[in-house]
Amino acid sequence: MSGNETKGPSTLNHKNEQVQESDDILLAGKDLCKGFPGVWQHLILDHIDIDLRAGEIHTLLGENGAGKTVIANCLSGFYSLTEGQIYVKGQPVTLKSPADGIRHGIGMVHQELALVKPFTIAQNIALGLPGSDFSFPLPEVEAKVHELSETYKLSIDPLAKVEDLSAGEQQRAEIIKVLYHNPEILILDEPTSLISADADRLFEVLENMAKLGYGILFITHKIEEALEVGDRVTVLRLGKSMGTRQTARTDKSELVKLMFGEHTPVHLDRKPIKSDTIVLDVKNLEAIAADEEPALQGVSFSIREGEILGFAGISGNGQSELAEVVTGMRPATRGRVIIGGKDYTNRSPREIIRAGVAHIPEKRRAMGVIEPMTTAENVVLKDIRVAPFSRGSFVNKSQITRHTNEIVSRFGALVSDLWKSPARILSGGNIQRLILGRETWRIPQCLVAVYPAQGLDAKAIDHTWELLMRLREAGSAILLVSEDLDELIALSDRIAVMSKGKIVGLFEAGEATREALGLMIATGGKSSTSKKG
Amino acid sequence: MNLDYAAGILLGSLHAMVPITLTASGEVIGESAGLFNIGLEGIILVSAMTGALGAEAAGPAVGLMVGLGTGFVIGLIFGGVCTYFKGVQLVAGVGINLFAAGLVAFWLIHLGVPGHHAVAAEHQLANIATPFGDFSPMILVAVALPVFLYVLLFRTKLGLKIRAVGENPQAADVAGIKIHLLRLLATAAGASLAGLAGAYISVDWLGSVTKEVSAGRGFIALATVVFSGLNPLLVLLGGFIFGFFDNLAVWVATMPTIKKFIPWQFIAMAPYAVTLLVVAGVIGRAKFPAAIGIPYERE
Amino acid sequence: MRFPAGIDELAKTIVAGVIGFTVGALIIKLYGYDPIAAYRALFNGAFGDLYSFSESLANATPLILTALTFAIGFRGGMFNIGAEGQLYLGALAAVAVSYFHLPSAVSFALSLICAVLAGALWSLPAAILKAIRGVHEVISTIMLNWISQFLCFYLISEILVDPQRAEKTISVVESARLPLLVQGTSLSYGIFISLFAAIIIYLLLWRTVIGFDIRATGHNPLAAAYAGIEQWKIVLIVFISGGLTAGLAGAMHVMGRPPIYAIYGGMPSIKGLGFEGLAVAMIGRNHPIGIIFAAIFFGGLLAGGRMMQLSANVPLELVRVVEGMVVLFLAIPELVKLFGWLRKIGIPPIFRSKRS
Repeated sequence: MSGNETKGPSTLNHKNEQVQESDDILLAGKDLCKGFPGVWQHLILDHIDIDLRAGEIHTLLGENGAGKTVIANCLSGFYSLTEGQIYVKGQPVTLKSPADGIRHGIGMVHQELALVKPFTIAQNIALGLPGSDFSFPLPEVEAKVHELSETYKLSIDPLAKVEDLSAGEQQRAEIIKVLYHNPEILILDEPTSLISADADRLFEVLENMAKLGYGILFITHKIEEALEVGDRVTVLRLGKSMGTRQTARTDKSELVKLMFGEHTPVHLDRKPIKSDTIVLDVKNLEAIAADEEPALQGVSFSIREGEILGFAGISGNGQSELAEVVTGMRPATRGRVIIGGKDYTNRSPREIIRAGVAHIPEKRRAMGVIEPMTTAENVVLKDIRVAPFSRGSFVNKSQITRHTNEIVSRFGALVSDLWKSPARILSGGNIQRLILGRETWRIPQCLVAVYPAQGLDAKAIDHTWELLMRLREAGSAILLVSEDLDELIALSDRIAVMSKGKIVGLFEAGEATREALGLMIATGGKSSTSKKG
Repeated sequence: MNLDYAAGILLGSLHAMVPITLTASGEVIGESAGLFNIGLEGIILVSAMTGALGAEAAGPAVGLMVGLGTGFVIGLIFGGVCTYFKGVQLVAGVGINLFAAGLVAFWLIHLGVPGHHAVAAEHQLANIATPFGDFSPMILVAVALPVFLYVLLFRTKLGLKIRAVGENPQAADVAGIKIHLLRLLATAAGASLAGLAGAYISVDWLGSVTKEVSAGRGFIALATVVFSGLNPLLVLLGGFIFGFFDNLAVWVATMPTIKKFIPWQFIAMAPYAVTLLVVAGVIGRAKFPAAIGIPYERE
Repeated sequence: MRFPAGIDELAKTIVAGVIGFTVGALIIKLYGYDPIAAYRALFNGAFGDLYSFSESLANATPLILTALTFAIGFRGGMFNIGAEGQLYLGALAAVAVSYFHLPSAVSFALSLICAVLAGALWSLPAAILKAIRGVHEVISTIMLNWISQFLCFYLISEILVDPQRAEKTISVVESARLPLLVQGTSLSYGIFISLFAAIIIYLLLWRTVIGFDIRATGHNPLAAAYAGIEQWKIVLIVFISGGLTAGLAGAMHVMGRPPIYAIYGGMPSIKGLGFEGLAVAMIGRNHPIGIIFAAIFFGGLLAGGRMMQLSANVPLELVRVVEGMVVLFLAIPELVKLFGWLRKIGIPPIFRSKRS
């Protein structure tokens, strides 16, 4: 498939098998740079070198915001490069559009699936075919889809409308769509973010393809995946490449160090829980996700005053929806949410906020702040309607200024001014600090924190953990969602493992080890060493 | 009511249907691609003027072509502003309407006519005389066009591309389609049909140009598009229904007996009220392409 | 080069204005008239003397209000173009009060109140449809505009018709008329009402909690919902306040516009005020203070247009051509950047000086 393959020295692939390392570099990027004008304080891509060999699965690993999607888009032609050069099979190329990418044999499966929902799969594929605009090539498309489906074991019905398919099926359709153009290089951007349950099937398919000589670039933020499926892994942090390792020769702690920098976890003093009062009580909660699939399938738990209940599990198993339902951002189809003894099921976010529930949201830029508004306005986003920030209906600017200054200094946010610049220009870390300040300056009765330390540097992570423990001491009931097992173990009094919309296991502090948690998460609760309930 | 009356009303409705159907068909293409052109009214108006001038200079066929061309040019400007320059479609459309109203009024005064410029009969499009009234060949065009556009939109790859660009431009971009160019051309093509409609009004149907000769038909066309759910075949139906009411309102205004029961103003209101009900979901479902009205940006 | 926020907006307005006037000049030239003479007459007729300036302000009076209707909607993230339909009904409501001969103070107050309520009421269907069924307000307000128009045609010719002169409605009674500010002109005290309304809206949007909620929703409805802002309330408030100002615009016209203080059949004098208000709002960058200046400018163009027609023989409709061009170019968000790009490829200095 890739012409003359010169064999290099033998090496280990991700399964620890000895193989001949192919010298055939299908895709390479040298000194890749990209900056978005004005907005960011650092280059999105900062002089990155990368290469992809035939027959290899190469993982690009990094936290959200590290630049993984951007570099993938540059390599496939969707984005333009500010500087640097891309080589396909040794030849320098300039990719001005995805069509260029396709012509050079590069196919990309995007994280946000690039499918037109009301169209059938065949229609979606026909869209990208060359040839006369007045043709109607559907029959050939359908035939070829069947063929590809067989070859790669990706079962799909070409006549099905995309909007009628499940997330997993949509992704298979997207992959077939990309394969239709006979690429030699396949780039997949966070492919398991939507199909965590079917991940194994996908990995099988990818491994088969690698054996057939494809070069596969696999983008993810999940370390476990990188170790499981990649032959080599390149770590990105804040736009820079931190190095490339052979998967068989590295381990999680090294990768963590590359991704996040040195982080000696701070020792957290855990005092016993004093109270028995239940603050948040959730019973048999059911809800539907944005794609109309069931997201929560009967979740029950309770959190006491001064207790942290952590939710572990691969994202996409209902954690986001759980946080949304508890905070009023998503309707519950069944079940009850009881806060402080009162029923708050399906009440508006305004009422739930007034019930004393604070929310550190998952999507900090899209939901946690209003980017075109100023720092001060964002800090009082929720509190503006109460005294002293407003008197009656009128806003009290001086009080807001005083308060914002306090929050900014107490939480260490770096802002240029309070009332002039839009929050858009702040870095993700500073935005998170503002959000933390806003949500926790008053000890909340209940705090829902979703991936609170995501994208923060080591010091900020420590501060966040200390903050959460202090809130716990002061009596806040905290619902913590995280993918970081260390974070969950350090902070939580109990840890619930979520899989496919249900709680499949519950650990007490002390019982939860990385191995036990990891095992339960990986198997979806089918084997465990904990007690359920 | 005897046969003569009925046939007369039918013919009148067919004539009134033409500008609405033409404009609405064009707008279906534009909206399927994602651009909402509120400036149709202005395009009809200006093209009525240019079409009339063209017909007077070189005959009715040329007049119609000039009208078509006017619509195309304005469509290019509107489309360009809203695609490559990422303009706000609603605002740009209103700008076009204002510009057109001023231009036509200005022109009429410049021509020295008291607000009404009649196109002499010899410059008008020849109609086929029937016992019930004149039958214009443009009626046939107005019926054939939606069918043609239906085939284009739903049975060709080009139609797939147009609809993709309106529904999910990112996906279309990834598929290698030139978003801005396609949207621009779709809108310009749609606008040229509105131009043809305008020329039809001045060169054929009403045979004159006033500063209000478009009489809200651009907006009725928008209503028809909503009613049709972006299906050109339903545009034909909607165009006929709205043309019927358009014509009926005029007829009722001249019939004292009917006027006592239903004032013509309420009949004239009918297309808009019906559309409102359609949009409200009371009648049928109004479904717009997901990305309509949003300028497309890729880094 | 980065401008501070306000200057950037102003620069954009100036650039669009320059383009508009240039196109206008080209058209004037094309038709054989003299652009310089025409524009001089235009500006004289707008701001040259007290009479002209008064006429400009009189024209601006309803424009400020209909512009506010669009601007409030815009700030809330909505396209409320229902001012036309709302102002027609507002005007007729004010006229209708004069049907009953009431004592003077009552007449005046009641006319205002009815006009304002009529406008607000007509904004409700669009608001409710949006809040409950998510209907896009552009379509619903367009339809409501037309329904209102025909409804008003009916009211004008059948219900509120002047028994002596069938082509117009009854006139607003003397006691309900706004006194003239400058004798011999069309300028009434209504201008103060409009200015007052603009200030109220400014305070509303930037100094109250509701205004904050409106602006937050306009920027990011998801984050606004997260922050506890109730979306349906915002939709209602935005539409109702827009309806109030539009209804007031209608009232300002009938109650403040000599000599007839009534509406003619076909509504020629108030037709278009809604869409022109949109243009004024865009030129005023959707900010009440900007709107005041933009409205005066627009009003000036209309007043000056008459002078331009008289002395330079250029039909006053040219003014609308200029308006249309300006609005078209203001639709482009990065207009000023565009000219920066042109500068790089060596476009003559005339544009350069405009940019600084």
